[in-house]
Amino acid sequence: MKNEHHGAKKYGMVIDLDKCTGCGACMVACMSENNVPFKKDETDKLRSITWMRVYKLTNGKAFPDTEICYLPRPCMHCAGQHEGHSPCVSVCPATATDYSSETGIVSQIYTRCFGCRYCMAACPYHARYFNWWDPVWPKGMEEYLSPNVSPRMRGIVEKCSFCYHRYQLAMDKAYVSGRRELKEHEYQTACTQACPADAITFGDLNNPHHKVHKLVNPDNAHHGRPQNSNAFRLLEKLGTNPKVYYLSSREWVRKSGDNYQAEDRKSAGHH
Amino acid sequence: MKIDRRCFLSLGMGLSAGAVLTPLPWKLADDSSIWSQNWEWTPVPKDDVASYEKTACSLCPGGCGLLVRKVGNRAVKVEGMPRHPVNNGGVCTLGLSSLQLLYGPTRIKTPLKRIGNRGDGKWEKISWRAAIEAVAKKLGDHRKKGESHMVAAIMGSDRGTVPQLMARLLTAYGSPNFFRMPSAQDAYESTLYLMHGVQAMAGFDVDNTDYVLSFGSGLIEGWGAPVHMLQANSRWKATGTKVVQVEPRLSNTAAKSDEWVAIIPGTEAALALGLAHVILKENKQCDFVSNAAFGFDDWVDENGQQKKGFKQIVMASYSPEKVATITGIAAEKIVRLAKEFAGAKRPLAVAGRGSGNTPVGFQEMMAVHALNALVGSINRPGGIWTVPEPDYVKWPAPEMDQIAAKGIQQGRLDGAGSSNAPYARFLLNRLSQADTKNKYSLKALLVSGANPLYSLPDTKAVQKAFDGIPFIASFSSYFDETTQYADIILPNHVFLERLEDVPAPRGFHKPMIGLSQPVVSSKYDTRHIGDALIAIARKIGGTVSSAFPWNNYETCLRTTLADKWPMMVKNGFWWNQSYLPSNNGAGFHTPSGKFEFSETVFSTYQPVALEGDESAYPLVLVPYDHMRLSSGYVGSPPFMMKTVSDKIVKGNDGFVEINPETAKKLKLADGQSAVLTTPKGSVNVRVNVFDGIRPGLLAMSRGLGHTAYDDYLAGKGVNVHSLMGPVEDPLSGLDAAWGIRAKLTKA
Amino acid sequence: MIDSALIPEGVKRCPFWQFLLALAVTGAVLLWGVYALLLCWFKGLNITGMNDYYGFALWIWADLAVIALGGGAFFTGLLKYVIGKDELKNIINYAVLIGFICYSSALLILAIDIGQPARNWFIFWHANVHSMLTEVAFCLSCYFGVLCVEYIPLILENRQIDKVPFFHNLSHNFHEIMAVFAATGAFLSFFHQGSLGGVAGVLFGRPFGFREHILIWPFTFFLFTWSAAACGPCFTILITKLTEKISGKQLVKPNVIHLLAKIAGWMLTTYIIAKIADTIYWAFFTLPDQGFNVMHFYSNNAFYGPWILFTELIICGVIPAFILITRPLRERPALLVTAVLLASIGVCLNRWVMVLQVMAPPVMTFDSWVLYVPTWPEVATTILPVAYGVILVLISFRYLPIFPQEKELNPIDSGA
Ligand SMILES: Nc1nc2c(c(=O)[nH]1)N[C@H]1C(S)=C(S)[C@@H](COP(=O)(O)OP(=O)(O)OC[C@H]3O[C@@H](n4cnc5c(=O)[nH]c(N)nc54)[C@H](O)[C@@H]3O)O[C@H]1N2
Ligand SMILES: Nc1nc2c(c(=O)[nH]1)N[C@H]1C(S)=C(S)[C@@H](COP(=O)(O)OP(=O)(O)OC[C@H]3O[C@@H](n4cnc5c(=O)[nH]c(N)nc54)[C@H](O)[C@@H]3O)O[C@H]1N2
Ligand code: SF4
Ligand code: SF4
Ligand code: SF4
Ligand code: SF4
Ligand code: SF4
Repeated sequence: MKNEHHGAKKYGMVIDLDKCTGCGACMVACMSENNVPFKKDETDKLRSITWMRVYKLTNGKAFPDTEICYLPRPCMHCAGQHEGHSPCVSVCPATATDYSSETGIVSQIYTRCFGCRYCMAACPYHARYFNWWDPVWPKGMEEYLSPNVSPRMRGIVEKCSFCYHRYQLAMDKAYVSGRRELKEHEYQTACTQACPADAITFGDLNNPHHKVHKLVNPDNAHHGRPQNSNAFRLLEKLGTNPKVYYLSSREWVRKSGDNYQAEDRKSAGHH
Repeated sequence: MKIDRRCFLSLGMGLSAGAVLTPLPWKLADDSSIWSQNWEWTPVPKDDVASYEKTACSLCPGGCGLLVRKVGNRAVKVEGMPRHPVNNGGVCTLGLSSLQLLYGPTRIKTPLKRIGNRGDGKWEKISWRAAIEAVAKKLGDHRKKGESHMVAAIMGSDRGTVPQLMARLLTAYGSPNFFRMPSAQDAYESTLYLMHGVQAMAGFDVDNTDYVLSFGSGLIEGWGAPVHMLQANSRWKATGTKVVQVEPRLSNTAAKSDEWVAIIPGTEAALALGLAHVILKENKQCDFVSNAAFGFDDWVDENGQQKKGFKQIVMASYSPEKVATITGIAAEKIVRLAKEFAGAKRPLAVAGRGSGNTPVGFQEMMAVHALNALVGSINRPGGIWTVPEPDYVKWPAPEMDQIAAKGIQQGRLDGAGSSNAPYARFLLNRLSQADTKNKYSLKALLVSGANPLYSLPDTKAVQKAFDGIPFIASFSSYFDETTQYADIILPNHVFLERLEDVPAPRGFHKPMIGLSQPVVSSKYDTRHIGDALIAIARKIGGTVSSAFPWNNYETCLRTTLADKWPMMVKNGFWWNQSYLPSNNGAGFHTPSGKFEFSETVFSTYQPVALEGDESAYPLVLVPYDHMRLSSGYVGSPPFMMKTVSDKIVKGNDGFVEINPETAKKLKLADGQSAVLTTPKGSVNVRVNVFDGIRPGLLAMSRGLGHTAYDDYLAGKGVNVHSLMGPVEDPLSGLDAAWGIRAKLTKA
Repeated sequence: MIDSALIPEGVKRCPFWQFLLALAVTGAVLLWGVYALLLCWFKGLNITGMNDYYGFALWIWADLAVIALGGGAFFTGLLKYVIGKDELKNIINYAVLIGFICYSSALLILAIDIGQPARNWFIFWHANVHSMLTEVAFCLSCYFGVLCVEYIPLILENRQIDKVPFFHNLSHNFHEIMAVFAATGAFLSFFHQGSLGGVAGVLFGRPFGFREHILIWPFTFFLFTWSAAACGPCFTILITKLTEKISGKQLVKPNVIHLLAKIAGWMLTTYIIAKIADTIYWAFFTLPDQGFNVMHFYSNNAFYGPWILFTELIICGVIPAFILITRPLRERPALLVTAVLLASIGVCLNRWVMVLQVMAPPVMTFDSWVLYVPTWPEVATTILPVAYGVILVLISFRYLPIFPQEKELNPIDSGA
């Protein structure tokens, strides 16, 4: 096939913040897809497992010049400065979280994690969540648990997996039909699929035919730096090299993606 | 014994090697970690054959098509149906969480009869036979006593076979008192009735508009068909469609709009008429008003009386300068907005605050509609459309015996449709005024798909009205507030277990019917409400029974849908894709046969007078809607609660939004506790200091403060409806209270 | 006394009932800690004040602090066995004991801290060699082994045990190879002290902790080792002084103390210069590259201000260093104690800052400060090692010849 792209994949996400309405469907889709537990009180946001979390940003101006932007934050599946040197992967002492050079996905092995939380300390995006409690479903509710993602036990860390089980299922299907390459639509994450605003795009950043590539035009010579002027990544300057990109037409939003406190603010934005 | 160095070293090495070689430590370590990976209290979901089932969501009026992923007979995931005309693969937080309703702890598992006092939560399990008999006997007794009109039903909708079965039951039985829960639809329907002369629904061709002027509508916060609107909003971004949001608070819709116009709340009608003034002054109105409208210019009625035309009224009283002082919006901005609106190819003005459950004044609704008329955006692509009421429910009128006929003659309890509210169909707001205004009192009430004891304004008064009704039967699947207050419960299946038509997605511009299909077999001893209603009718007997010729609900549905049935089963929905309403004579059934501007509505500016005295209540409280909370009759499932910000509810504390300036005046800091008082009651809240709200205004999210449901929802936050009260619109009789006066003091 | 047979010859100990009372009081505190520990294991870490933003608890600070304070063991060992400062033999036993206590506590704390204690060995089995924590785990465990080897001969010197020929000879053999272990210990300590410093220093996602690297190690790697070498001996002196105060007798000759103090003083001086240089480099080069201004980390919150930096660097760094390297000052007992106390506080503060403050400041622009308040089980489990240490000191001091100079300095009147 002419359009087929071989070689290592770099699955990533582009989230259009102009479109995102903050509706929260991505959060719920993720919880439902991935058997994320819940408690009676989830208002302590510092102890609430949300692989996908939608942040609310404001421009800090007074009425009526106030503006709001919502920013959905899955795991960024950081590649680091050299492929696989993600902030979290590099620190995990038990190799319980790993970087796949085949897909670019940062995995989490629940049965191996022993709960030291070092990876959480390492992640500047707070994308990692600890199971402070045993997961408990009210009687009868275990019925909706999906067999594709194992529920996690107390005392370990979990996070967004880019719905890796969907990749596996898609690969299995492809293999059955004799293919080793996936088509773009065959592997889509639950949040992408659910988003009513079509704000989330998912695909292989290395594949020039995929929408994600076209949207941000990542410069692989410079750690995937976006070449679309409306695109940015969170905390680029830290060198985490995330695979989640954001689009916004508003400058204050783009600037919220990184810290510019020590610099001339003119040079802000993407560089 | 003497140990030399060599002996010592070999001893050491021997010990170490020995420890490593014995299997014990390794085995123990391994076992313990295996044990920790297989805690029996951490569930392991069973695997089985995976499949997808089509259905339609009826948790809100949005009518989304869903695909439910199943593993064996378990539903494990809800997804949006791709290429569905309403939601094209998208789905909202509530639909996504619906499995938590299906398998959740708040479900009612068998029919129940109250044994303690009302609301005590003491129930006795009864059989379906006993439940049906109890209801039929109660209704039969009232019928015998000539009190059939004193029986009422409240439902969430009046469309589709199930509400129609309920309405039919009441009619054949002899009661005119079918109620639908109030919403902005009421005002829209009254508007279409008055201005178009048709009984129709308002639909919005949001995909083809190029300029949206929204008077506080939560376009992306549940207004219309929620997912459809979220998708439209993204298309607007792609096509460069400008969205102007007129609203005193920076809602999500305002935040996503291209221009936020932070108006003084309650003055929207004036703004709409001010915009009309500019359009007329600039002569930018389109041919529609001269060709197809009546009452636009001054006219003389059949008695020879001189009547003012819309144009003359607007030109005389709504200059931009004057409107600027009313609305707080600069005159230049009003002029610019009017020119932009009239200059757009396919502009669309919409009304109905928030998700459309906050009341709207009739004048405001009509003024907005008049704006659409001025630019010709009536029944044309990109405009507002009249969508005919679903017409597939074509059952022959039930045979009425004498009792039934007499009962119907008593007239509606609320007077809707009568001389004092000719344009209204349902006025549930008048229920709580039982002692003062109503002609008679109710003896029995049937409730389904609605939670009036939570959702109607002034909860205390509603409860008092319910106290006066000796018999309340609920068909709810869940222990909601109303159901907890019922005397008998006949639990319906949850929609995922139910076969049912889901017609007319709210605000959708084409006739459409979704099909809810049982995705899983029913889990508990519940029964389809359609079957329950048929059984009740049969038990009552006589003409009531013969009005229900179907053996069961499924037969009723299949025969009703007739030739649409196969397509619905195949696709999960039916729709009239080519529907386009007429925007000339054929579309209007007014006395003039044209679109009519009503003199009575527009002659004087009549803002809704909010309840409460300004000196005692210097602030104004408004409710708002939030996509992450269900504000309808279904309570938010745990997943949704999890997504809610800790600036809306924290622990059990509810928050009220307040501008920093107002907070400073009241010496309240962000997060601080306060007492919020309205004429209807007083509650403890915490303040959320937010720049995006107009000074003097307080806002509180709907969907919280439940007393019913489970520990994941009950007791969290404040039910804003308990602080509100209805204010009747003098023109329509509908509730128009978009807010209430309030005060906030330090706790 | 009922236990006189166990007490080393020629020294005087308090009455047995006093000893028992002291044991009982600290034992009660210990049990409280053990109860908290069991709660953490069986109920889970939800009973702590930690959260997803703040994954390191008070006890992790305690862990790092005790390891730093226990640094006296390896550094004194290094000085005595490797460098050959023989006078230090008079304090080395106590240094080893303190080290043993600190390191066994540290391991215990780690066992409480992890969410899945039964899987603790995964860190060895599935080791990720790139992780500082792996390095910590390996070196810490090995060094604890070394400390055991160093502590065991001391136990074997107990009057009764020593009577058994096997143990007597065993002890002798241990002594012979002690230099090898001391050298190993110093080597291991260098790495685990360093890798503990690396724990925060490698967090390139956390600008407050992150430091530039030399080879594969961040600056903090070296600073931690250095500060442990400087402040560990200070803590040994401090505890020795405290023991002298409580027991009411001199246990170590001043020249020994002053020698150790002088060496510690020079270590502290060089350390604090390096630390100040590191802070300046971090503030003016590392942070700006990441988009931050140093004041970001010392403002907009209820606790962390410039005061903490000043206290660590000046009050608990420059001042004690100056005292310790200035002979007339360090030889004044009050100033000496002040200096070693300040130095000990300083290193604890440094560990606090490098563990707990790292978690607190926001990194994403739309995040906010998170301050953490420990719950009682965390306090109890943090005090647990202290109680355990006191008990071990009580027992060791009573029954083992910890201080070789005690007999000479405190001759027993035959009348007593
Ligand atoms: N990243 C990562 N690495 C892994 C693993 C992992 O999960 N992740 N898994 C590990 C495991 S468990 C395994 S078994 C290995 C598998 O690793 P490999 O043995 O490399 O397995 P394959 O990738 O299946 O490649 C086998 C090759 O054999 C070719 N082949 C197929 N049939 C025949 C035949 O009849 N004759 C000959 N001569 N060639 C044939 C195929 O075309 C293919 O090129 O990978 C290991 N490596
Ligand atoms: N499509 C496809 N199918 C294949 C193959 C293929 O190449 N392609 N290869 C085949 C071959 S050769 C093999 S060996 C099999 C491998 O098949 P599997 O063993 O099923 O596959 P893995 O994905 O390697 O690992 C299984 C799971 O173990 C978890 N895990 C990792 N460490 C631990 C641990 O310490 N404890 C526990 N309990 N779980 C842990 C991982 O997170 C993962 O979810 O697949 C076979 N099937
Ligand atoms: S589902 Fe889409 S629109 Fe909604 S919050 Fe998530 S990304 Fe934003
Ligand atoms: S976002 Fe956090 S958890 Fe995800 S790869 Fe990056 S550092 Fe790791
Ligand atoms: S918590 Fe688990 S995944 Fe994270 S670093 Fe520790 S062992 Fe690795
Ligand atoms: S990609 Fe999958 S796991 Fe990640 S946030 Fe989206 S739904 Fe959740
Ligand atoms: S918008 Fe309404 S109909 Fe659509 S999924 Fe949500 S609740 Fe169901």
